[in-house]
Parts: sequence; C-alpha cells; structure tokens
Amino acid sequence: MIRDKHIRTGGAQYGREDFLRRIAARLGRSSPLDRKPVRDVVGVPEFYARRQADRAELVRRFVGNWEALGGKALVVPRDTAAEEVGRLLAKIVAEHGIRRAARWVHPELERLGVDAALAKAGAEVVPWAFDPSTEEGMTADEVWPLRRQLVDAVESCGLGVVWADVAIAETGTIALAAGPNRGRSVSLLPGVLFAVLSEDCVVLRMGEAFEHFRAAYADPGTRPSSLNLITGPSRSSDIENDLTIGVHGPGVVYAVVVGDSALRADRSD
Amino acid sequence: MSAGTGAGVYEGGVDLKRRAQAALADDQLRAAVALTTDRLRNGRLRAIEELGDWEVWRERARAIRAHTIAHLDYYLGRFADEVERAGGVVHFCATAEEAVAAVLGIVREKSAKVVAKSKSMVSEEIHLNEALERDGVAAIETDLGEYIIQLAGEKPSHLIIPAIHRNRRQIAELFSRVSGETFPPDTKALAGYARRRLREWFLKADIGLTGCNFGIAETGTITLVSNEGNARMVTTLPRTHIVVMGMERIVPTFADVEVMLNMLARSATGQKLTVYTSFITGPRRRGEADGPDELHVVVLDNGRSAQLGDPQFQEVLHCIRCAACLNVCPVYRHIGGHAYGSVYSGPIGAVLTPLLANDPAGAGELAYASSLCGACYEACPVKIPLHDMLVYLRGRRVRMKLTPRGERIAFRLYRRAFAEAALYRTAVKAARLMLAPFARGGRIRRGPGPLAGWTKSRTLHALPAKTFRERWKELGSEPVEPFLPSTPNVPTPDSSTPGVPKAECKPFSDAAGAVERPDRSGRDGA
Repeated sequence: MIRDKHIRTGGAQYGREDFLRRIAARLGRSSPLDRKPVRDVVGVPEFYARRQADRAELVRRFVGNWEALGGKALVVPRDTAAEEVGRLLAKIVAEHGIRRAARWVHPELERLGVDAALAKAGAEVVPWAFDPSTEEGMTADEVWPLRRQLVDAVESCGLGVVWADVAIAETGTIALAAGPNRGRSVSLLPGVLFAVLSEDCVVLRMGEAFEHFRAAYADPGTRPSSLNLITGPSRSSDIENDLTIGVHGPGVVYAVVVGDSALRADRSD
Repeated sequence: MSAGTGAGVYEGGVDLKRRAQAALADDQLRAAVALTTDRLRNGRLRAIEELGDWEVWRERARAIRAHTIAHLDYYLGRFADEVERAGGVVHFCATAEEAVAAVLGIVREKSAKVVAKSKSMVSEEIHLNEALERDGVAAIETDLGEYIIQLAGEKPSHLIIPAIHRNRRQIAELFSRVSGETFPPDTKALAGYARRRLREWFLKADIGLTGCNFGIAETGTITLVSNEGNARMVTTLPRTHIVVMGMERIVPTFADVEVMLNMLARSATGQKLTVYTSFITGPRRRGEADGPDELHVVVLDNGRSAQLGDPQFQEVLHCIRCAACLNVCPVYRHIGGHAYGSVYSGPIGAVLTPLLANDPAGAGELAYASSLCGACYEACPVKIPLHDMLVYLRGRRVRMKLTPRGERIAFRLYRRAFAEAALYRTAVKAARLMLAPFARGGRIRRGPGPLAGWTKSRTLHALPAKTFRERWKELGSEPVEPFLPSTPNVPTPDSSTPGVPKAECKPFSDAAGAVERPDRSGRDGA
C-alpha cells in the first residue's frame, strides 16, 4: 500500500477480521468475499445519463436553479469579466458593510484583479495562503497555532471569494475541492459567499461533476480530503416549519459565470 | 458469538398503548406532526414528479442497495481499506458498548473536553451523549432542531425535523431561560441566537462527530448531507473528526451515490439536493490549514448482521434514512415519534427497533402500530416491503407464544371452525344467539368481552336472522317481492306466480356474455 507523503496520520483498522467474517457467514460464505462481484445495475438510468444540452442552455439552467433557491447570479462576458466582477464586489462590500474579505489563492482570481477591487472598495483582503511549505518539518501540534490563526482571520471576514471547479446546471450547484491555498473555511465561515466560475465548467448532472474530479485527481494520493457541493444559501425549517436562511453557513451566495455563450444566445433571440 | 443485540435501542417498555394515548391527547404535537408530514409529503410528490420515471429510479436504487447488502463483506472491506489508505482509522464495533468505548478512547487520548456533533441517529442509538457526559465531556448538538431538544432535555419526535413538537413561543422561552437574554417568538431572532452560540462551540470544539449518509467503497469517502452547514463546521474546524456509522450505509461507487443522492433529498424534504453535500476522504492533507488532523470511522453492527441471510428481514438494511415512510404513515401522523420509544420511529422504526433489539416481546409490540395500509412501501425510495415485515414480526410473536392466551385460543377455534363445515354452522348459530341481546337496529355498538375494544370506535353489523345458505334452502317457499326499476320503460316481470323468479328480465351476465347460474340445488351444505 502506497503511503502518500501528504498524509499526516497513518491509517489503521481495528476489529476487522471478526466483523467481516461474521457478515460473510450470515451471507453463506466461509470467508469474506475479496473478489469484485459482478454487477448489472450501476449508477443512473441510461436515459438520464444520455441527456445533452449546449453551453448556453447549461448556463441558463444553472442560473435559473441557483436563483430559484435564493442565490444571486450574474453572467459576464470574458473580455470584461474583471471589470464586472470588480463592480459587483464593490456593490457587495458597500451593501453588507464588509470590512474584511477572505479569498482563495487561485490564478483565476488573480487574473480577475479581485484584490485590487476589494481594496478599492475599502475591504482588507485575507488570502488563504497556506501550502505544504508552511508546515515543512513541523509536527501536527506545532503547526496547529498557525492553522488556527488563519481560520480565526477568516472567521472575522464578512465575505469569502472562491473559484469553483465545476457547476451543476440541473440542481443549481457549485463544487469546491479543498487543497493547499484553497481552504474549506472560506466558503463556510463568512456570511457572504462569492463564487466565480467559467462557463465551460458547467455540466448538466452530478455524475458529470464526479467524472471531472475523477479525471482531475486520477492518482489516489492526490484525492482531495474534501469535496463540497453547495446548492444555495444555508437554510433550516426546524423552528415550527418556518424557513430561515443563513443558519450556520453563508446566508447570501453569489455565483458569477464567466463566458459569452449564454449572452450571445440571448442577443440573437 | 452473535454481534450483540442492540439492547439499548428500545426504551419503551411494554406500554405502547399508553404512550400512543398520551400522544393523541397532545393537541399541539398532533397539529405539528400533521403539518410537518403534510409539507414533507407534498414536497416529495412534487420533487419526484419533476424528476420523472420515478418507478425506474426506485427499482434502480433498490437494485444498488440489494447488491451492496448481498455483498456487504466485500464492499465494507474495500471501504475500510480505502479509508485506511487515505490516512483514516477504522474501528469495527460489534456492539453499542464497543462503539461507545472506541469513541471514549479517542476522546480520552485527545483529552477532549468538547465534542461538537452533527446529526447522527446511530450516536443516539448507542446513547453516546450520555456516555460522554458521564465522562465529563460536553457533547453539543449543532443541528438546530437537535440543539433545541438538547437544551430542553427531550428526545427527537421526527427523523428529519426533531423539534417539530415545540412551537416558536416555547423555543423563545427556552432560549431566554438558557441565555439570560429575552427573545421574541421570532424565527429569525431565534435562529440568529443559535447561529451565534453554536459558532462559539464550533470554534471551541476539540472533536467533531458526525454520522455518515453513504460510505463510498471505491474511495473510502464519507458522504454527508445537511442544509444548515453544521456538518461542514464540525468536519472543518476541530482537530479530530469521528464518524459513527451503521455497517450497512455503504454504496459501491460515486456513480451509485449519484442515484442515492437523487433519491434521498427528494424523498426526505422534496429538495433536489440538500444545500451542502460533503465528500470527505481521509483527514486533511499536508498543506491544508483547515480540516482535521485525524479521521476515525466507527463502524457499528449492534444487531444489523443478524438480519443478513434472513429472507424476511435482510431488506431492512437497504434503508437510506429518508423518513418518507414516516410522512405517509397514518399512525405516525397521529402519534408522532416519541410514542415509538426508540430513536427510530415510524414504519422503519416499527420494524428496525424490534429487530435490532432482538426483542419480539417488548419492542415487538411496535409491529401493531400499523394499519398495514402499505403506504410506507409505496413511498420507500428503495422499495423496502415494510408492510410485509410488520406482518412477519407479528407472526414471529405468535410462533413464540407472546400473544395473549385468550387470543391464541380464539384463533385456534377460528381455524377449526373454518376447517369443518358442521362446526362452522354451529358456531354461527351460537354467535347469533349470543350477540342478539347486544344488537340495536341491526348494529352492535357496545360489544361484550373481546369485542368491547373493537366497538369502542367502530360498529359491527349484527348477524342476520338467517344465513344465505339457510335462506337458499327455503327459497322456494319465500314470497317474491315486486321488482321496482329506477329507470322507466323497463318491463316489470309478471309477479303473479309466487315463488319462482321469472326470467323476464335479462339475467346478469359476465363480460363475455355467458350467463352464470350455478345449480346448487340438492348439494348439501353448499
């Protein structure tokens, strides 16, 4: 078994033998099955998987479903994306009184000039700058205070900015994979979430999003520790069936889709 | 040595009737449960209509679960190997005691003082909170509904919406009492307090503890669904993450989890997907500033393996805990969750609790909390025949002679009476004689002895003066009553000749036009 140098603790299993043997015995086997059984039914129905939609349609459906759940969406053309994003960020900072904003360290966010836009609007930027080199040669206990410092900094932010790897059109979902420089907390702790994505990353159904990640992380050692599908703002109806938004996660969520297909389609109507 | 029975699963004793009566007397509970189940049931119907071809999906989901459970030794083994490969630790626990010990072991090793919990039915099944508290550890429920009932010191009354039996005013009073501040009965204010208070706990917690909606075998991935974000919180901020899961919560691949996730949210609340669907594979990697340093997965048996290999009950392990069956059950709708005396309520609870507890005598009474209407089976996204299982459980009690002696004698006589014609005829005559004094206007409204319970809320027809067979014998000497048709222009038969019915009117015939007139004259006893 290959032990990845990225993994902090060694894995282990306790009590496996008796447990699996008991299951095998109840199922009529003398020892646990270790060969992959034959299957004929796997995954979603054929007709569901075969469905297609063009890019403009996918973007439109994503926006429609995201907004139906209370999210706010914007589609911007590629050549003016930085400008539009900057304008929207300024509006959000003003509207929600944002003093500090957290963001992933991501080339796309850099290209959009997110830092400059936030600074111009008067918000201090907290980049999630943390990667393997930060904890080089340290034990888990030693690095904990550094980790905690960053989390506390993001906790004090009113806005979190991320770049989504994939979006799912038919449910109105964005998919975020965690990693160095891409903390889970940025999309979780602040009250406002701002996600940007490229139109060519919008797929129709969940399974296609899984396929994207399977291909992107083909080597098991590189698998992300966390993959989050986010479908709208945080909500609960636990108090007398009365819907309330923003219980633990962000209550205000923005999705900005960069690309021209949907806009072109609208204009040609 | 069996994998222990879940002895602690059923806390109800043998007074199901009393608990049900208490629930029926609680108007607020009944109104709340009815409102909630209606809302969720209607949501479900809309969502499955939107998806389309629901029966195809149901059969697919059933097939995936059936295949997984039939090969659980393989898939659970793969799952554990992958969790280990990703750096997680797997603790296989045959009994509730072992699982509690495993969790406490980790808690002690970390010198943890605060455990922040996201909703986990299994953790309630093994009474984990009580064990943690006995050890001086604070176990904080962070799901809004669970948080409310924890503060109130109560048990959940619904699988998905645990605090449904409490209204805004009561929650405001509760929060005001606990916090020292005054809260209006306003949802936003109450939720705002919970958000603030729980955020402190999330940041303070040493350990995050969750259940597991689906364990994906091919990658050792823990799938967690939530709408609030508390599952994300407790798996991102604390240094240790403990997962407590039933051994059957496995699916083979991500392709399969797409099916299960499509079924789960729609069946539970009518959503296409919950707000957060998290896939956790091992602890954080080097270079990640958040996420836990350690991931522990506690896999629990507690009576589950005893259902494997049992053709009547193996399918109960297919359950994905969506609670669709609760929302359609006419019994649950009226008595809510507490009456079931177990963390698992509704139709699934009525089957699972006696099985896990291996308690046909006490918990087995839950099999009678059903009208056998079969709505649960119709609603189940993985087609578990719960309605059949309830009958099998009743059958088990009969075979073990757990039913009242009087009932057993009555059924023995019943069987004999239907096996011997002469005995049957005598029994009918005797019954007619005995019940005649209780009949008023052809109805029995207050029955004697064993009928008393039945007639408390229903009426029985009195037995007629003559049975059909007795009348048939004497049909020849009976006067014919004139036939008065309700439609005009239909010829009235000649009623001048008494006794023999005339064939003037067209006799009733079946669809093919053939006339059925069995000749039973002379056949004795027919």
